[in-house]
Amino acid sequence: MDTHAFASLAQVRILLVPVGTISESTFNKYATELRTFDAIRLGDIPADNKDERARFMPNPLSTGYLHLSFPTHPPPFSHLPLSLLRPSNFPLAVIGLAACSKTDTLPTILAEFNSALLDIFPAGGMYPLAKNCFVFEEGEGNTNVNLGDNLPSLVVIPSMMGNKKLYIGTLLADLCSHVLGEFGTLVQGLESPAGNEHLNSALMPMLPPPDLAQPLDNGNGRKRDSLPPIPNGHSDIKTGFNLSSASNLKRNSSSGSAFRHSTLNVPPAKKRLSSIGVASSHGRLFKVLGDFYLLAGRTEDAAVWYNEALLLFKSSSDAIWQAATLEGMATVSIIDAWSAGQGLNTSVSSSKDQWIDVFDKLSQAITLYHRSPSVDGEHNYSLLAYLYSCSVLRQASLLFSIWSAKGWGPLAFSTMLQPGPTPYLPPTLSHEGLTSWAHLERLSTLSGISRSNISTVLSQVHGPWLLHLGPRERISILENTASLYACLGYRRKEAYILREVLGCILDLIVCGREEDGFSRLSSVPLPAGLGIQGPNSSGSSQRGGNVGVRFSENMDGNESVLKLLKYVCKVLGINLDAVRLLENSEANSAPVETSTTSIEDEIATEFSEPYGWPELQVGVVREAVAVAEALPDYLAVAQFALSSLKTLQSVLASGDQYHLYATANRALLTAHRRGDSKSVEYWSGKPLVRISLSPLPLVRLPIEKPLSALQARASDIAPILTGATDPFLYNPRRALGQMQGKTLVVQNELLEFVVALQNPYVFDLEIQALTLSTSGVPFESKPIRVVLPSTSFHVVTLTGKATETGPLVIRGCFVQAPGGTKREFTLPISTPEDEERISRRRAALECEVGRSKYAGLDCFPWEKAGKRSSAQLSASTTKTPLRFSEFTVVPEQPLLRIRRTSVTHGAVMMYNGEMSTIRVTLENVSPLPIDFLRLVFDDSTIGPAQQALANGDLSVFDTYETEYDLLHRPVFSWNKEETKDIPPGHKLTVNINCYGKVGCTTGTVHVSYSYVHRPAANLDPSPPVFHTRQLSYPVMVTVYHMLECQGMDILPFPSVPSDLNDEQADDDDQCRGNEAGWCLFSVEVRNTYGLPFEVSFERIQQGRPRGTTSTTVSPGSTSRMVIPIKRFILSEAHISQPIPTLSDRQFIVTKSKLSKPQERAQRELFWYREELFKNLRGRWREAGGSRSGDLSLRQQRMSLPMLETLRTETASIQMTLHRQEGDDKVPCTVTGGKFYPQSSEFVYLRTKVTNLSLTSQVFTVDFDLQSSQHIIFEGLLRDVPIGRLESGESCEVETGLCFLAYGRFEISAEAKVVGSSESKGTGRLTAMVRAEG
Amino acid sequence: MPSFALMSHHLFLLSPSDTPLYSLTHYSTKPTSTVASPLSSNLPNWSTSAFAGTLTALSGAGSSAHQTASGTVRMGGGQDRHVIQMIANASLDAIEDIMKTQNAMFLKSVDKFNEWTISAFITPGNMKFVLLHEGKNDDGIKSFFTDVWELYVKTMLNPFHTAHTPIKSLVFDARVRASAKKNL
Repeated sequence: MDTHAFASLAQVRILLVPVGTISESTFNKYATELRTFDAIRLGDIPADNKDERARFMPNPLSTGYLHLSFPTHPPPFSHLPLSLLRPSNFPLAVIGLAACSKTDTLPTILAEFNSALLDIFPAGGMYPLAKNCFVFEEGEGNTNVNLGDNLPSLVVIPSMMGNKKLYIGTLLADLCSHVLGEFGTLVQGLESPAGNEHLNSALMPMLPPPDLAQPLDNGNGRKRDSLPPIPNGHSDIKTGFNLSSASNLKRNSSSGSAFRHSTLNVPPAKKRLSSIGVASSHGRLFKVLGDFYLLAGRTEDAAVWYNEALLLFKSSSDAIWQAATLEGMATVSIIDAWSAGQGLNTSVSSSKDQWIDVFDKLSQAITLYHRSPSVDGEHNYSLLAYLYSCSVLRQASLLFSIWSAKGWGPLAFSTMLQPGPTPYLPPTLSHEGLTSWAHLERLSTLSGISRSNISTVLSQVHGPWLLHLGPRERISILENTASLYACLGYRRKEAYILREVLGCILDLIVCGREEDGFSRLSSVPLPAGLGIQGPNSSGSSQRGGNVGVRFSENMDGNESVLKLLKYVCKVLGINLDAVRLLENSEANSAPVETSTTSIEDEIATEFSEPYGWPELQVGVVREAVAVAEALPDYLAVAQFALSSLKTLQSVLASGDQYHLYATANRALLTAHRRGDSKSVEYWSGKPLVRISLSPLPLVRLPIEKPLSALQARASDIAPILTGATDPFLYNPRRALGQMQGKTLVVQNELLEFVVALQNPYVFDLEIQALTLSTSGVPFESKPIRVVLPSTSFHVVTLTGKATETGPLVIRGCFVQAPGGTKREFTLPISTPEDEERISRRRAALECEVGRSKYAGLDCFPWEKAGKRSSAQLSASTTKTPLRFSEFTVVPEQPLLRIRRTSVTHGAVMMYNGEMSTIRVTLENVSPLPIDFLRLVFDDSTIGPAQQALANGDLSVFDTYETEYDLLHRPVFSWNKEETKDIPPGHKLTVNINCYGKVGCTTGTVHVSYSYVHRPAANLDPSPPVFHTRQLSYPVMVTVYHMLECQGMDILPFPSVPSDLNDEQADDDDQCRGNEAGWCLFSVEVRNTYGLPFEVSFERIQQGRPRGTTSTTVSPGSTSRMVIPIKRFILSEAHISQPIPTLSDRQFIVTKSKLSKPQERAQRELFWYREELFKNLRGRWREAGGSRSGDLSLRQQRMSLPMLETLRTETASIQMTLHRQEGDDKVPCTVTGGKFYPQSSEFVYLRTKVTNLSLTSQVFTVDFDLQSSQHIIFEGLLRDVPIGRLESGESCEVETGLCFLAYGRFEISAEAKVVGSSESKGTGRLTAMVRAEG
Repeated sequence: MPSFALMSHHLFLLSPSDTPLYSLTHYSTKPTSTVASPLSSNLPNWSTSAFAGTLTALSGAGSSAHQTASGTVRMGGGQDRHVIQMIANASLDAIEDIMKTQNAMFLKSVDKFNEWTISAFITPGNMKFVLLHEGKNDDGIKSFFTDVWELYVKTMLNPFHTAHTPIKSLVFDARVRASAKKNL
């Protein structure tokens, strides 16, 4: 609107007024067309040489120009006092622009034009001096065209006219000619003494004064009030025409100028200039003359008159007029310079000489304005301040033009003369990329004017006096100031001024609203659809005054105000767009895929440095929110409030945070109630801290097993021995399994995710909807509403279920604040490479933080990342795809529960070695059948045993013992055959055997079950895995150790059977004791318990009758149990086997460095002991009770003598004595195992050697006759050859003997294998030789 | 309109990112000698809306009105302080402009706004000391700035002090005040 062009003093203002139903765009189009005529050659102006009207007419052949400007806004009424002081401030002519269509008739257009003029121009003004109405014909065949010829003040411009521009130029020249003529008339009036007196009567006199204008009032019945009449200028042009608009047309006179002449002649005398007013100086008159000459383009005359005026002002003290004169003179210089340079490519000069004079004049003028005493009435302050501000702006724009034009030259002049309706930006600055500091500084160097010079000049405009100005002038002055600062690159100063501009506009809006009866509190929303528009932004409609103009549903002004706000805040380092407004996505359920912020960005924000002035930022933000509330633009309120919460969180006081949050929420509610289609994005940083699956309860946890596990593997080692420890130090498969960390979850079962959220603000943050963001299989979950307590972390649980099987990826969460849009926050899992990259980046940032490469406006936080040039930071940008926590959804699984057990209080009490049974009843509570059931047990003895085994410190023997214990005597066992399918809802009872084992305190029953053979849904190959679930039942076990075995021994059966044995010796084997291959096993059993126990040992040797021995061991006592055992021999092959390891463990190195014989001996011990324990079974029974169990001998050790006793000899030797009776040899009488041969009689000792070993061997026999001197024998006693005997074969040798004495003879024989001196078997014979009888 | 109020000085130590690390308001014992323009007298009492209040304060009318009304040296409440800060912040434009072309650390009277003259001192680390003052006292201001600089350098010797750490040292404050009393 009001541009403060430097040369505005020399520009003839022609107001463009829309008339009739012309549309805004059409109006703008024609206005632009008119504005191309910014200067008219004086020679083109038709001269009107009638008397005084000729005074300002251009001289023939003059070369000057008349400068035109085409504002579309009239000056405010309050400027009327400036009419004579500053005529260029007023539109000297008016052009109505009308578009003629078929419906309009020209008279109506004219009438509208005239009534518009009445509205626009105050009655007391003397302008405009000329007017015309251009009717642009729209379309073709306009019927009203011919009518237009009759209306002189109406010009119809046909649409088909060829050279429209030339025509318009001519019309404009005509109009200007009128104006110039009117100048003459005006001046003539002023030249009269009365006029001059009037001119000097006040500081800012007005024409026509009441006394002069009174006669003009004659025909005007409309203006009966005290106001001066309608401007005469109207009637001057409307010569002889009052067809329709009679009300304000005063005369039909065809010669307005003549009338004007006569009215001015009404005062008594018409004097020449020289004789005017002795009373008053003529300074003001000369100044007015100068002004008019300047307007008329006659700069020489203007300069002359100005100089005259200055001379006169020097003596008098008419500061304002003097200052105005100085301004005029400054303008003259510029116009002259422009004319001189017009069309020439004159060189640009940077020397100050050319313009320093102009500058000084303006400085003087400014000083004069500044010091002007306040003599006049109260309203003068506003105009004085206006004049002052204008002159400061004029001086500043002088410097600015020269600066921006790179020096004093044509470009600078044209900048200064630019009349446009919009501020003119010189080409040196209008380039976007040219606003860099270097570019601006280059302009300074070229032009010799530094920017701070301009700023210094410009800052004079700012001061308390701005308050004197009316709002319109104030806004205009501030706007110009701000744009000058902007062009200088002084953005902070610009922001300062813009805040004032905003203050003005908002004040107008608020006040205007109050005047409209919409008085309200700032927080109370207005009725919907109110767009309040400041007067600065209205294009076409002027409903005068300083009241905000309200258009319904028009938000254009709001937009600009908000833009200004954002700009101001941006300069202060606040990004009000930090929270964006998005189209509401509530309708479409698919959430907007927001780009996931990389971790790098998050780190960058972590290290962001403070920017800007916190106190200022807080103040500006508060103001911004208040402004947006006042507009009202609720979404903007929310956006601003939330943006500042987001970006200024660290500096906002808690009160402000509360206020902003509450305001934003309220505004969002209102906006939504109004049906706004936009909403704010999620704003409060990243609330998500952690997501984890809350671990499934054990009973629900599925365990993946390969299907191959179902096939029985007989060859396998029992896993119980290894304790499930991996034999491999590094097992890649296992490592893989742990790496992937894919937790198994079950389809259609509720999953709970624990989500940790944070709220860094001091208020309770509400999250309207929080949902999991998943990919992979469909996942059903419901959003929940959360309120995060202030400045804390908060944990919520989100539940949901996966409806299909497959991978389920938890990406993060969707978060939605009330009234906002959903936003996804992802939570990727960082790999080690990521971690390293992040930590490297963090280190680099840490190193950079605190160092400032850029300062001030160059280091806005949001620009920082772009400017970072550190190679270290920019290097690693290889984007790896983000990884998220993954779960595998497995098919639905059955669920089993333990319905009941036979165990009371979960505890089992047993005696050592007792076997009891636990009954566990399982119930299938799922709709799926269970077709796989396995029981696995664990007890407290397994662990230590496995540990001992794993350590490997045990001897081979101990190892075997431990392993045997684990394998063959488990605490728990069950019968696999009991298992069967459990249909849904059915029960199954399982019997579990418990074996009392000392040292066992607890045990656990693990039930694994599954639904393996499910119907294949489709043809896809059944997966190689199945899933089991586990049910665990812990059992407390108490085992009483009541019987102790100790002191095992094996003794030879007494060789002489006692007589006691005779009667029971029906079985002759029994009686034959040692010789018959029997030995005695004995062991001590001690009762350490409080109850007596009946202990029995049973012999279960194969092929032998069973035998038992039993006794009752009373508490505290020890009993030795003895039972005969048939001796046995184990084959060499059997013995030569190494001691087996049940676990089949590899890599076991024999630690004991035993020699071969030792090793053999150990093996023999081992194998014979094993054989012995196989043949013996110890049992106990509770005396008087029903409980019974096994008694283990396993702790007993076998010694070598015991082994010798137990082992059958290789060869058995039976010796009998035979007597010769005739040819036969009959055995001697045998009584009680003793032979009774006759003395001195030849008997035969028949020695039968039987090879009992399993191989054929060659034997010899040695006899030993203890009393050999009483025995005569035949043959050899040593190394009697027997020969080779096959296994089981026997051979007899006969030796002739004769006992020479009475008495008892012991004959023993010893069988030996050839080549060894070892006895392989012995025989013994006792012979009693006594006297007959 | 000679005011009988005492001259006030406002010192701001600004980090390279325009954040104030320290600020001081000092009232000199010397009376102000500025003569207000007649244009700024007889201002309308303009309190139509809250926004007008902002405008009043920003244009500089608020401060002078306040001063004359109360007659004391107090600079009024938050709004005036806010304006002072705005002016100091806005003067950075001029300071940055000049410091790029000139080598001097002390930029005397680098800017003027409303009734305030702004002098500045730029340390080699791009810290800016901005002083808003009313009178002309170049020598005093220069020696004041030199004192503050020395004190600031001593503070920066603290290894935990970065270019963005606000200065809260009481010793620093006391010494700056002492220097202000001496020089301003």
